[in-house]
Amino acid sequence: MKKILMFTLLLCAMIFTGCGNDSAKTDDNLKVMFGSNVVSLDAAQATDSVSFELIADCIDGLTQLDSHGKPIPAIAESYDVSEDGKTYTFHLRDAKWANGDEVTAEDFVFAWRRHCVESTKYSYIMGSTVACIKNADAVIKKETAPENLGVTAKDSKTLVVELDAPVSFFPSLMCFPAFYPINEKFYNSIESGSYGTSPETFLSNGAFMLTEYLPGTANIRLKKNDSYWNAQNISLQNFQYQVVSSSDNALTAFKNGTLDLAGISGNQIDSVKNDSELSKNLKIIPTGLLQYLSFNQDAKNHHGGALANVNLRLAISNAIDRESLVNNFVANGARATYTAIPINFAANAETGKYFAEDQKQFSEYVSFDVEKARRFLDAAKSELGKDTFDLDIIYANDSGDTVIKVAQAIKSQVEENLPGVTLNLQPMPKAEYLDRVTTNSYDIAITNWSPDYDDPMTFLTLWTTEGSEISEHWSNADYDKIISDCTTGALAANYSERWSAMYDAEEILLREAVIAPLYTNASANLISDKAKGVEFHSVAIERVYKNVK
Amino acid sequence: MTKYIAKRILMAALTLFIITFVLFVLIRIMPGNPFPVERMSAEMILQKRLELGLDKPILVQFKDYLSILMSGSFGNGTSLYNGAPIKPILIKCLENSFKIGVLSILFGTIVGLLIGIVAAMNRGKFLDGLCTVVSILGVCIPSYVFMIFLQYFFSYKIPFFPYFFDGSKFLFSSIMPALSLSLLAISIIARFTRNEMVEVMNSDYVKLAEAKGVYGWELIRKHILRNALIPIVTVIAPLVVDLLTGAMVIEKIYGINGVGKLMVDAIAGQGVDYNYVLALGIVFSAMYIGAMLLLDILYGIIDPRISLTAKDG
Repeated sequence: MKKILMFTLLLCAMIFTGCGNDSAKTDDNLKVMFGSNVVSLDAAQATDSVSFELIADCIDGLTQLDSHGKPIPAIAESYDVSEDGKTYTFHLRDAKWANGDEVTAEDFVFAWRRHCVESTKYSYIMGSTVACIKNADAVIKKETAPENLGVTAKDSKTLVVELDAPVSFFPSLMCFPAFYPINEKFYNSIESGSYGTSPETFLSNGAFMLTEYLPGTANIRLKKNDSYWNAQNISLQNFQYQVVSSSDNALTAFKNGTLDLAGISGNQIDSVKNDSELSKNLKIIPTGLLQYLSFNQDAKNHHGGALANVNLRLAISNAIDRESLVNNFVANGARATYTAIPINFAANAETGKYFAEDQKQFSEYVSFDVEKARRFLDAAKSELGKDTFDLDIIYANDSGDTVIKVAQAIKSQVEENLPGVTLNLQPMPKAEYLDRVTTNSYDIAITNWSPDYDDPMTFLTLWTTEGSEISEHWSNADYDKIISDCTTGALAANYSERWSAMYDAEEILLREAVIAPLYTNASANLISDKAKGVEFHSVAIERVYKNVK
Repeated sequence: MTKYIAKRILMAALTLFIITFVLFVLIRIMPGNPFPVERMSAEMILQKRLELGLDKPILVQFKDYLSILMSGSFGNGTSLYNGAPIKPILIKCLENSFKIGVLSILFGTIVGLLIGIVAAMNRGKFLDGLCTVVSILGVCIPSYVFMIFLQYFFSYKIPFFPYFFDGSKFLFSSIMPALSLSLLAISIIARFTRNEMVEVMNSDYVKLAEAKGVYGWELIRKHILRNALIPIVTVIAPLVVDLLTGAMVIEKIYGINGVGKLMVDAIAGQGVDYNYVLALGIVFSAMYIGAMLLLDILYGIIDPRISLTAKDG
């Protein structure tokens, strides 16, 4: 017996001491939290901010964001715009891929064509609603050959892009991963379908390169790319991402020193603020995410389409106390929003003011006013000849508890302020939620949208007849006309007229209560001294590490 | 004997086939889409369904899937990780779960046997009671609760182990998850060992051996343990598969890239990835069936007294 005990003890001692040395290695690199898995490193497939951030760590596009979110040159050293605003000529600098190849104009042509041909969720960004690249819509619909896409390599360092209409935010759009280059030779040398599934199948031209990555991995490591064109100004030698899905775990890991940058949830903020040490690390960062109620206005939907009545929608929208939602339930620094465009987003190039700076602009249609809400409800009751409304409100319950609390609060506010209206809470897994939305079997959905580029159009195009087919089932010819005028039509070239036309579109949207905006989200972050140089943005690439000292 | 084994293998193959079919049908009638549908138009969804062949009759789809399986691959994912080929990712994840599983089996068997032996030797005394309490606790406490406990004390309060799994220090960061996983194995093995040993110790041949003057470790090793081991092996076999196939919650909270986490991602990620869920289901079933088959065959080898078929006996 003693012998066995001795043996076991000895074995344990061997394992532990052997490993103890292992752990003595100190990591002085930066460790950053990701709240969810990376979906894909292929910019044509990625759909989430986490993937975009990782891609942008490794690949530089034509432009990049400075610390204020303005586009500055990256691979393009400079660019010229033709007088009509429809032709951009980018002059590329001497930059190299990590394998030593030159970054050429052909790399951009290859990636952009591929993006249109793959025809994925983000292909639309090439087409007439956003970038307006010549022939993009036709290539996406496979009506013309990819060679006819309006992007050409004049020589290896000159990229010419032809647009169907002038796009005022085109330079900032070039920061979005969909417009990043791919080295064609490298792409063709790896096994088909394996692009971006390992460090070996992903080629970097940016500040960092992958050293450890596996699809779905919880731990991603990067190191500085010494062949980066601006390598002398990058001080961070290596850093890693840790996927942490629970914010409790994230908070403990931050306290423990395991994470240098961690996101926490609203209900943890108070305890962090009460901690004199931790509160120094807390930073609330506004995001561009708009949380809103989507009203299904299809008259044929399963509850008789009561929400096709505009007065019922207005009643609900005006019965919600948004200030109470953000202060008592979201509680992470989010701001109550009364416009269809989130706050702190899309600054006017001429005045510098954010598009939705004036939150009272549409208070006639969106506010918290119980009397007004009841007047709308009475109108709805007489128009529909009904006294009670039974509505399903659906939301995904697997992405944090904030939405669950918000849903419960909305239910109690609406039912208290609007007698006769009943909201049935229907929490469900995200997969089922998406299924319900796409199959048109819901009344109200709690949903959100984050901007893809720095222009109000990234939101406004959601509700055109074509865009709205997916969710709200609302259609308005005037609205469609304004949007098409602003994207490819007469107003595209006139900055200030376009800007005011977008307010007109927003007014139609809110007058008809197509959606009920709730709040512009914020993120509560714990940032250690090591992570002080991380830059935060509300559009496209949320965090940039190039200036971390 | 050969005929018996052949029959068993054939039965196992048939079982696996039936499981594959049931899984295939169940996954297709599950709610949700096999791909992320956020802001996808009806046209795009239809296009995607056509691409994946989901418009065909289910039997045709099953036939297509079988031919993919026959070619030695699991096909491509439908939504997870960009629709990349499943096999390399699955192998990598299996490898991670497998390594931690082996470690936990080692922990579980060694500690479980030790506790069982100590309890049996001190039957009815304080140590026996203590061992019973420990093994009941082990069955009752879910392994992930124990994992959170370990993480809190040995990574946070006393920062000795890494707070998250770190692939570059594989063995070192595997210790906490392996310990937590082995908790159930320890309890089950300890209880079985104790009970079997107590039974054997009451048998005539042990009494005879004692009368002959065989005592202590010699008696345990040669006479008691050997006879008590057979039922224990029966318990260990499915337990081994359980431990090798990973632990969903532990892998998720500790950030291990194993098959348990892969399963969670495949079901609750961006749309339900039909092919990953299927591939994992098939691999898990194959492992269980394989373990049971092996066990049947092993019986004959461990104890020649066990007859394999009526005819042989």
